[in-house]
Formats: sequence, structure tokens, C-alpha cells
Amino acid sequence: MLTLTVNGQSRDVDVPDDMPLLWVLRDHLSLVGTKYGCGVAQCGVCTVHVAGKPVRSCQLLVGDVGTRPIVTIEGIGATPNGAKLQQAWMEIAVPQCGYCQAGQIMSATALLDANPQPDDADIDAAMAGNLCRCGTYIRIRRAIKNAAAKSA
Amino acid sequence: MRRGLGIFVAVLVVVALGFAGWLYLGRNPLGFAGGSTVALASYQGATVTGAPTALAFADLVKRGEYLTHAADCQACHTAPGGAPFAGGFAFNMPFGTIYSTNITPDKETGIGNYSDAQFLAAMHRGIRADGEKLYPAMPYASYSLMTDADALAIKAYLFTLTPVKAPAKSNQLSWPFNQRGLIALWNVAFNPDERFRPNTGQSPQWNRGAYLAEAMGHCGECHTPRNFAFALDNHDKFAGALTAGWRAYNISSDKTSGIGDWSDADLYAYLATGHANGHGGAAGPMGEAADDSLSYLTPDDTHALVAYLRSIPARASDLPRTVTTAAPASYKEGATAQANMRGEKIFAGACASCHDWTGVSPVTGFATLTGVRAVNDPSATNVAQTVINGVSRKTADGKIFMPAFGGGYSDDDIAAVANYVTARFGAKGADLTAKDVAALKQQAAQQSKEAPNG
Repeated sequence: MLTLTVNGQSRDVDVPDDMPLLWVLRDHLSLVGTKYGCGVAQCGVCTVHVAGKPVRSCQLLVGDVGTRPIVTIEGIGATPNGAKLQQAWMEIAVPQCGYCQAGQIMSATALLDANPQPDDADIDAAMAGNLCRCGTYIRIRRAIKNAAAKSA
Repeated sequence: MRRGLGIFVAVLVVVALGFAGWLYLGRNPLGFAGGSTVALASYQGATVTGAPTALAFADLVKRGEYLTHAADCQACHTAPGGAPFAGGFAFNMPFGTIYSTNITPDKETGIGNYSDAQFLAAMHRGIRADGEKLYPAMPYASYSLMTDADALAIKAYLFTLTPVKAPAKSNQLSWPFNQRGLIALWNVAFNPDERFRPNTGQSPQWNRGAYLAEAMGHCGECHTPRNFAFALDNHDKFAGALTAGWRAYNISSDKTSGIGDWSDADLYAYLATGHANGHGGAAGPMGEAADDSLSYLTPDDTHALVAYLRSIPARASDLPRTVTTAAPASYKEGATAQANMRGEKIFAGACASCHDWTGVSPVTGFATLTGVRAVNDPSATNVAQTVINGVSRKTADGKIFMPAFGGGYSDDDIAAVANYVTARFGAKGADLTAKDVAALKQQAAQQSKEAPNG
């Protein structure tokens, strides 16, 4: 039995240590906002925060999480930058199909947490690992800048 | 005139004798230890050969299984994705390709008809059942140190495997390397065909480690440089070499370029699990050695290996001192895009999510790049190979995985990202080109062809 801190709550899960965190979140904690994409840390849709860092949950074994707190897309709206970004996302209707968007918002939030006023190059460096097959990159960039402007 | 010729001949003879002597000294992997050795039968210390004490009362097959792991037969006698021990693994050499053979007990295509004497001839002298000579890609010059009893225990284990019908693939070698008869000369020069002799000046633990490293694990076959005749040159014992397109690192006790500054605990962890925090993990051929062989050793045996490794004289090689501090958290500091825009872009998209801009992985210690030898190797050989082939290892602690990028990214991309990674996280940036990457793919083709990609 492992105890995880997910979105501020303590959750007990009875899973093997070598189960990827993504499986635990979706199948054992019913937090299905985090998506499964490539399964090899190359698309970014499974991004969650572990101790504030954006991490691909398909590659993180639950046994390696330890006591580090986890935040998922379900909990990110409770953080200041997460809330701002979700608002900015809605204002300009960023998503098209939406499948990658949870991961995009998680990576964007981690970016603003570390760098409140990112320029284009900063956004590229932080977001390059989050793919969007609909090509919403331009709106993603704009939404991040709009959210950052609200902090200025 | 005649006198001049006489002096010339004398000088030639002295040079030739000196050269022969130099070769002779270089062929003994245990010569560095000095002191006196005795035949095993007269050794007074604890038993240094055979399976460990825990298996002393186990049956022959069980002991043979342990020894088969210790001798790591499986790594070379299994093709990628093929049946274990059924052979077909390709050794790509500068002069052609040699394939390993089927050592399952199939009577037609394997070793099912081998008598004990025939098996020993193969293990100790490199002679097949039909009398033909094996190529020294089969490390019989190392296995010749193995006792008859241990070799026959391995045979007993191999004979319990399910026979697999897998005919030998034909080697593709250029002349004169395709003349097996010539190996007779090589054998005279480089295979003394002598069993292990314990060193009375060393502890029983050291002798056990020496037996495991030399007669069983044949570490030197990858980690010791070779001479002009492709025999191990033990003047530079364990000083590192390029094998199958991967660099086997310097594991002598040199503090800068070897493992002299690793703690015993780190060395033990690396041997036992193929990973030590702060030093990175084994991939490629060493990953196989860890998973198929070293991880099966008992703790006592692993400690013995550590004790033995500690005694290898320091040999400096061309590796710079490993950088152990993390890179800056921002991509804008440290090695940056100004030098390598393409490398940084690829790193941002494909690598940073697991390896982080600092090199310290938020996901797993296995993915931390800081302090890793490969990253501090300015040739970037193993970095490029890892990018090309990925990592797919099954360990007691779970699966260790990195995708193989060799199929999806161009040689230019792989060179750029390897150069970026070595510059950002290592001591000195590499200078690989697409051509270099293509050559590395070729040398390790036995891996990259069938590497899994997620």
C-alpha cells in the first residue's frame, strides 16, 4: 500500500511499485483528465506536476514518487497560475480536439511558476515536448502570454 | 660491410625478441598482481572456483546455471529478439561479420552431440567438435582459465535447455581472415591454455574476484584494449576500449579516467544492479552484462569483484574528470543554443521532459545525466548509441526504459543532440557529424536493427 498526495489530498493506493503513475491516476484514482498518448515520454499529454516540476506520468513509476506532492489537471485550477491559464485558455478558445490540452496547461503552469514573464524562446524551450496534432501552438503561445500579462 | 650486416641482424633479433617478450607479458591478465601463484590443487585458501558456498550442495545443473550467468554466455549467444542461447548474434568487425552459434542442445544445429572432452576443447582451446578452430570472438582465451569442473557444470546446464533448431549463419569475412587455419598461430601466441592459478600473496576474496572477472565474466574482452592481432593487451589492462560501436570505459583504479574515485558502495551497486546513483546506468552491451550476468551474482561474489577491481593498476585514458555538478535550471545558461541551436531544439522537445535542463531527472535516478561517464566522454560514442538504440532493460527494480530514436531522427539530429548533451552536462562537448553517427549505427548494427521503440 502506497500513500500519495494528489491535489492536496492524501490517497492510499494498493498497486505494484512499478506501475506508471499515469495508470494509478486514471485507473485507481479515477483522475482521467490526464491522458495517455505515446507511452514513451515523447508527446506530453500525460504531464502532471511532481513537487512542482512537470513530469511525464507514463514514465514515472509510482514507487519512485515518494512523498513528493502530485498535482494533476483536476487540481491545477486551485493554483494561481493554473487558474489564470485556464481562464486565458477559455478566452481565446485554445483547444481544437482537446486531447493534448491537459498536458499543455500543466507544462504552461510550470513555466509561469518558474518564469512569470516568458518570451517566445522561453515558451519554445518549455513547451517543445508537448505535441498538438491539431496545431493549436499559436493559440497556446498567445494564451500563455495573455495569462502572463495578467500577472504583470 | 659484413660486420655492419651482422650488427643489423643482431639488432633485428633483439627487437624481435623484445617484441615477442612484450606480447608475452601482455597476454597474462593476472600478471599485474605479481607475487607467486600456485596450482589450484595446492592452494590452501578458501575455494575460489565453482559456484558460491550457498549453492555448494545444489545439484550440478543449478551450479551450472549460476556459472552460465557468471560467464555471461547468453549475451553473445542470443540474437536480438531471438531464442536464448540459439546464437545468431552478429559481431561487426573491421574485416567482416562473425555470428555466434547455437549452444542449445539441438543435435543437428546446436551442441547436443558434444562430448565432455569436445566441450572442454571449445571452452579452453577454441576447437569445435569437428576439429575446426573457433574465432577468438568466442572468448576462449579467457575461458581457458576456467576449471574443467566449472566448464562441465555449464555444459550440464546448457544440456537442460530446450533444443532450438537454428543453423549457424555463415560469417562474412574478407581474406585472409576467412582462413580459420591461421588461428592456430594466434592461439600459440595468445592463448596459453592454462587454468586459473590462485595468487598466494592475495586474499581468497581477491582470488575469487579474479576468477570471476577473468575466467568467468571476461571483463577484459570489452574493457581491455587490443593489440594489432586483436588480442587483449594487458599492459593497459581495463583501460577501456571500443567494442561493437560502444565504448567500454576505463575500469582501472585511475581516479580521473577510471573508477578510482567511486566508493565501494557505488561500485557494488553498479555491478549488482547496473546502476549507481550519481554515476548513471549501464546501457548497450554493459546493460546486457548487468541483466544477463552480473545481477545474478551473490553479494559475496559481487564484493569479491569489487575487491579485485580495486587492485587493478591505474591507467590514465583520454577521459576528462567527470563533472558532478548539475547544469543551470534555465536553458539560457550553461551550454546554449548559440553554439548548437539544432541540438537544443531537439533536447527541448524529446529529452528535457525526463532529463531536465539541469540533467537531474525528476522522474528517476536512472535518467539523471549529471555525473554519468558517457556524458563526460568527449567522443559522445555511448550518448549517441543510447540515443540511437534507446534503453530497454528489465531489472529487479523494474523496467528501465528510454525510447530508441535511431529510426525517427536523422543522423544530423542525433549528432546535434549528442553534441549538445555532452556540452551541457559533461566536461567537454563532442563534435559528432552525421557521418560519425552513421558509422556508429553500422558498428552496433546487431543492436539497432531490432531495438524496440516503445
